[in-house]
Amino acid sequence: MSLTLCSPPVAPTEEVLVQDLLAFTAQDFSGQNQLLDEAFNQLALRLFAHQFEFNAPFQRFSRQRARTPRTVRRWQDIPAVPIAAFKEQTLSCWPPEQCERVFMTSGTTRGDVRGRHFHPHLQVYDTSMRLHFQQRFMGEPFSQPARQTLQSIRMGVVFPDETLMPNSSLAHYLQLALHTFGASGSRCLVSDTGLLVDDVVASLQDAVASNQPYALLGASYSLVHVMDALQERGLRFVLPEGSRILDTGGFKGQSREVPIQAFYKQLTHFLGVPPSHCINMYGMTELSTQFYDAGNAQLPSLKSGPHWIRSRVVDPLTGLDMPAGERGILVHCDLANFNSVTTILTEDVGLAQMGPDVEPAGFYLLGRAQGSQAKGCSMAVDEFLRATQS
Amino acid sequence: MNLLRLGQHEAMGSAWHTLSYENAGHTWQIEVPHYSPDQLALLAQRVRASGAALKAMPVSQIMAAVDQAMARLLDAQNPQRQLLELWLPRITGLDAEMVGLGLNACFKTFRTPQLQRFVAQDFGNPKCLDEFQPSPKGGMVRAVGPELLVHVWAGNVPGLPLWSLISGLLVKAPSVGKVSSAEPLVAYVVAQVLAEVEPRLAPHVAVVWFQGGDAARERLLCEAADVVLAYGGNTSLAALRAQVPVTTRFLQHGHKLSATLVSAAALDVHTASHTAHQAALDVVRFEQQGCYSPQVVYVARGGRVSPKEFSELLAQELAALQHKFPRRDLTLEESAGVSTWRQTQEFASEPSTYVLGDAAAPWAVAYVDSASQLAPSALNRTLKVMAVDHVRDVVPHLAAQRRFVQTLGLAVSPEELQLLAEPLALAGVTRLCALGSMTSPEPGWHHDGRFSLLDLVRMVDLEASAESAAESYASYRD
Repeated sequence: MSLTLCSPPVAPTEEVLVQDLLAFTAQDFSGQNQLLDEAFNQLALRLFAHQFEFNAPFQRFSRQRARTPRTVRRWQDIPAVPIAAFKEQTLSCWPPEQCERVFMTSGTTRGDVRGRHFHPHLQVYDTSMRLHFQQRFMGEPFSQPARQTLQSIRMGVVFPDETLMPNSSLAHYLQLALHTFGASGSRCLVSDTGLLVDDVVASLQDAVASNQPYALLGASYSLVHVMDALQERGLRFVLPEGSRILDTGGFKGQSREVPIQAFYKQLTHFLGVPPSHCINMYGMTELSTQFYDAGNAQLPSLKSGPHWIRSRVVDPLTGLDMPAGERGILVHCDLANFNSVTTILTEDVGLAQMGPDVEPAGFYLLGRAQGSQAKGCSMAVDEFLRATQS
Repeated sequence: MNLLRLGQHEAMGSAWHTLSYENAGHTWQIEVPHYSPDQLALLAQRVRASGAALKAMPVSQIMAAVDQAMARLLDAQNPQRQLLELWLPRITGLDAEMVGLGLNACFKTFRTPQLQRFVAQDFGNPKCLDEFQPSPKGGMVRAVGPELLVHVWAGNVPGLPLWSLISGLLVKAPSVGKVSSAEPLVAYVVAQVLAEVEPRLAPHVAVVWFQGGDAARERLLCEAADVVLAYGGNTSLAALRAQVPVTTRFLQHGHKLSATLVSAAALDVHTASHTAHQAALDVVRFEQQGCYSPQVVYVARGGRVSPKEFSELLAQELAALQHKFPRRDLTLEESAGVSTWRQTQEFASEPSTYVLGDAAAPWAVAYVDSASQLAPSALNRTLKVMAVDHVRDVVPHLAAQRRFVQTLGLAVSPEELQLLAEPLALAGVTRLCALGSMTSPEPGWHHDGRFSLLDLVRMVDLEASAESAAESYASYRD
């Protein structure tokens, strides 16, 4: 797989912005919270000004809220764009046709309309992914700081690759993991016909025989398919110590729904990987940075991101922070989203966990806000979409 | 007192289940009997077996009992009425005054004259519910209600269970009704009042609660029933339908969408604000949770007040009504739904779209200068106003959602009414009514285009041939 580097940017300011952003992601801020706060804020405001200038729908949205580069002084005040807007509008500073890659949402929630996230190039996305993946998945123990960080690990990816799903950010993410951190023998275990069960079994057998740590990565539902296949063949494995699993995205009706606790218990049962070594990644097509937990021995697990993304838990109507200890909707400000919009309003329910400082240490992900819960025969949007799709 | 216990006299030694409600910073609890599957089966069997006595009661006596129960429930001094007024706002979060008005509107729909009309609507000769009656085609007919009618109620609008509960009684069907967790109260209270005013009815009505989607209990009830009448979302109806034996009649009221149509005739400077006020009332009542609640307003161009100006009037009315009937507290999920809907409108590719009302306001009106097909809003006082050139232009927009369209509230001239009625009927609309009346259908209405009573019964034909054949075996034959 080749990675095209930076093409000519939309404006000279952008090239500088991207360089500063890459420098910011690489910088070590440990023990310098105030410096980090200031640097984050400054970069967020510069990106806001840039996106306000070069992205007309975003400018209109911001103006409706009386938020302009003149009035916004804190990253928290950058208007959060609802993820539904990625379906309605082209949120890109660059002309979309000049973008190297567009990632699209799976389109599970709104009929045929899929959200689109334009990336002029993947340099920032890939840097963000690699840096954070290395910290959170390659190090052990997974709660920071790691005692030992692997340079590579043999991987099996149970998700289609980029040639099969060129618009899937997850396919790209997993391929990037495989190409960057996969030791020899790493491979994708899904083809256009589906899960390659024989190859999965062979890979697991090899891993056990080699006595080297092994990593299995994929969508949560793909892992259910793996377990179903092992169950069918009456197989169980105890992968070597240090082996780990990464799942993401939930089940989305693609496999049987498994309660989260049972899911990790079953992974231990079939693969011999304890919940402490099962990492759940929380990512979104609309972001360029991912969140991880430090294993799932305790549920729900605390999710957190690197220093270039910050999250808030808000009241969806007012956009104000919820009081500590109350559920709200998650807003993420991801500086790696340099071309679209940094700040998005998700449809995910979260609960902030305060850290030792004023900034939250992370959040618990408590599921999706299903819109208005239709209690009776008046129809709510979600129900309507389901009904019209069926 | 934060706890209310319901259905105590019929608990049969069952376990109790506590339902919790959080509104306006308080937690309220209601305890309901939670029958084991065995107890539930026994209860259904007992109610079913009681039927002979009910079938022997003349309809007029059943009506008298219902009328008396409604009289009690309309009496502000009555303790059960007071209980409803106190507890319904607590569990639904609806405004207390709105609840009071809604209860009155509902209970007065079931007084004797209305009940008589209700029955006359479906039966040419209502006496066929009591005994065989001569039929115009020759011979005799008799309408026989089911041996056991099972109701599965939704909790969206308080009072909704009354329609089917009373329909069941009018056709002398012993009933087991399952209340929803969202609003279990009205059915329990009405059943209790009925049993008090007419103890003979007591064995024939049982109200139960279990968690919606409890397949074992649902199956058990459905298997005991002759007719199952269910309200709810399409997903839960589909799951329920799978539990119903093929020989059992399944009547469903699933998701519906309703709209309002305002003609240029209703938009002169004198009438426009009145029209907007009536339209806003339909939105505010029950927070658009009813199938008959409008989610879209189509407004015709050409009046003195433009569609856009009308949307502003509507916004003003909603703002004003907030003082009289404040919106209930929304759950986080509902807030997220409202916020998503709002922002989707703001981001809509249609450049003429704009949203009235502050992001945190307890209502929102989106205006768009062109019309499209009927689609849901986020409920809870969110509404989309769309401009059309002529009232008849709405027909294709409604027909596009023919599976879901139900009520159309109208503010049109007599000529337009005449012009529109037929094409609207063909487009799938099942109810046309005045603005301001959308949430209170007439007694005897054809809910979703169906018969309230006729759908429940089995008609028995005693054909003329049987009569004449019997003559040939008479002891007095020639």
